[in-house]
Formats: sequence, C-alpha cells, structure tokens
Amino acid sequence: MNRTPSVTKRKTAILLHKSLHGNRLAQVALIVLLWLAGEAVSRSTGLPIPGSVLGLFALLYLLITGTIRLSTMRRGANVLLADMLLFFVPAVLAVLDHSEFLGLVGLKVLAVIFAGTLMVMCMTALAVDVGYRLMLRMESKHAVS
Amino acid sequence: MPSLETILITVFWSAATIAIYLLSKRTYRRWPAIWSSPLVLTPVLLAALALSLHTTYSEYIGATRWLMAILGPVTVAFAIPIYEQRAMIMRYWPVLAFGIVVGSGTAILTAWALASLLSIDGMLRLSLLPRSVSSPFAMAISEKVGGVPDLTALFVVITGVAGAALGEKLLRILPLKSSLARGALFGMGAHGAGVAKANQIGAEEGSVAGLVMVLVGLVNVLAAPILAYILR
Repeated sequence: MNRTPSVTKRKTAILLHKSLHGNRLAQVALIVLLWLAGEAVSRSTGLPIPGSVLGLFALLYLLITGTIRLSTMRRGANVLLADMLLFFVPAVLAVLDHSEFLGLVGLKVLAVIFAGTLMVMCMTALAVDVGYRLMLRMESKHAVS
Repeated sequence: MPSLETILITVFWSAATIAIYLLSKRTYRRWPAIWSSPLVLTPVLLAALALSLHTTYSEYIGATRWLMAILGPVTVAFAIPIYEQRAMIMRYWPVLAFGIVVGSGTAILTAWALASLLSIDGMLRLSLLPRSVSSPFAMAISEKVGGVPDLTALFVVITGVAGAALGEKLLRILPLKSSLARGALFGMGAHGAGVAKANQIGAEEGSVAGLVMVLVGLVNVLAAPILAYILR
C-alpha cells in the first residue's frame, strides 16, 4: 500500500526527465507554467505573496519530493537566471523621468545607498562570523560532553 | 489592434535593449572592470540612446514591458539554486538566518534613517527601502510598501555596483574568519553584482553569496506585508 505513491512519483520523475531533459525550451515552459499557476492562486486567494514566489515554492516542493530531478530542470533555469539583468534593465531607465537626480537629490540618494550598503555589509558579515564561531564552539562542546 | 507605429516602436526598443545588453556582455568579457560591467553599461548606453532620440520613459517602457514580465519565471527558477545548496542550508541554517535577519533589518532601518536625515521622504524614501534585495523581489516589495518599483530597480542597480566595489575594500578591514561571512557580506549587501564578485574571491564564497541573495529575497518578500502594515 505504502509503495504505490512513491512508485507513481518515480514514474512521473522518469517521464518528466525523459520529456524535458536536454530540451531547455520545455524546461522554461514548465517554469512559466508554474509561474502562471502561482499567479492564479495568488490572485484567487488574495494571499499577500506574489504568484512568482508561490511558483518558486511549488518548484522547490517538486524537487524535494523527487517528482522532478535537479538535472531535469537545471539548464532551463539557468537560461532564465543567467540573463536576469536583461529582464529588469528596462525599469532602470526610469531615471529618464527624474532629472532632479542630476542635482542635490541625486547626491543624497547616492549617499543613502553608499552609507547604507556599507553598514549592511559590515553588520551582516560580523553577524555571520560571530554566529559561525558560536556554532562551532557549541558543536565542539557537544562533541566533548 | 495596435497601430503600426506602436508595433515599430516596440520592435525597435526591444531589439535595441537586447542588442545593447549583448554588446555590454561582450565588452565586459574583453575589458572586465566595474564601469564596463553590463549592470552599468547597458542602462547607460540605453539612456544615451533614448535621450538622443528624445524618447520618454513611458514610451520606452511601453515598448519593453514584456521583457520585465519574464522576471516572474526568473523568480520561479530561483528554486534551483536553493535546492542545489540544500546541504549548506541544513548545515548552517541558524547562522544564515541570523545573518539574513540582521542584514535585512539593517538595510531597511539605514535606508529609512539616512533618507529621513537627508530629508528624502514620500515615495522616494519608500522606494529606497528594498534596495538590498535582488531586483525581481525588490520590485515586488516596493509595490507592496507603496514605493515605485521602477525607481527601486534603479536603486538596486546602484546598490549592486556600490556594494561590489565597497565589499572588496571591506574584506581587507574586517577580521572575517569564515568564507560563510565573506559570502554573506556580498550576497546580502550587493545581490547579483556581489555574487559575481564573491565568485572571483572563491567558489565557496560565491555559492554562499548566491544562496544568501535568494534567501534574502524570499524572506523580504514574505515579510513585506508586515512592513507595509507598519508603514501605514
């Protein structure tokens, strides 16, 4: 009884792998499908989470349960991820509408970004370094006792 | 039916955007430097072209908005790097979670505080809040908290360039023992550009940075409704 779902899952995985492997376009199509499904769920339920993020969780779920193998999707996903800049660069031209950035406002914004980023980097790196050492110390204590 | 003119404008600006992007990538491969990275070169060249043709932003974005729709599938594809790094997540999740919470908190608080200090307010200040988050996530957050997503994309790019440049200098000053901390510094502080920089420093730093970047995006998107509630 218990074996039936895992057998179907493995069959699905093999079937998906066979039809998608080596075909980046089909992999991208599946990702687009998950995105559209996520958007539909997000809109119909009124969840405050973007549909694309729901799609991300759906794909992660399929990977964790083994319904889709990593090797089935990796190349298609890389097609999208490698050229991500192209897909948001149009928005950057919003600067054309803001000639005030050429003056004092622009300098202020730059100051906020530079100083803020410096602080973010320092705080994050120090927090992670301290946390890492703490974790190692706790683990070695556990190992001793 | 869209007019012939609209179609022509759409085709022209879409082709120009893609061509300039590919050209920038090539230029960077030949002369790798921060000023020649596609992140800087593509928007600068596009802006120069738009200005010389007297094209307004609304005309331009009307023609190229379809490119930005692809950010939806890009976000879904981020599931792959998360899954690839699952061993690192399992091993170091408390440290990563701590770093992401501290980093995201610092990012939002410093943006708000510094902007207020310099008397930047309204939608400009709100658009600055998610600047430390990778752009597909940042634009979604910006919309949720009442900012202008397009301006946020601009600030995200500036943050990436600034962070990649600053991060290298910071590494020389900060006494960081772990590659985890070095990678997190770039992934949290400078998202995409930071990940590229971290990869130059080391493979481990690169994969930490990439993972942190995606997780920061996710955590911030999930926290955005709370942030929007506080700001209201």
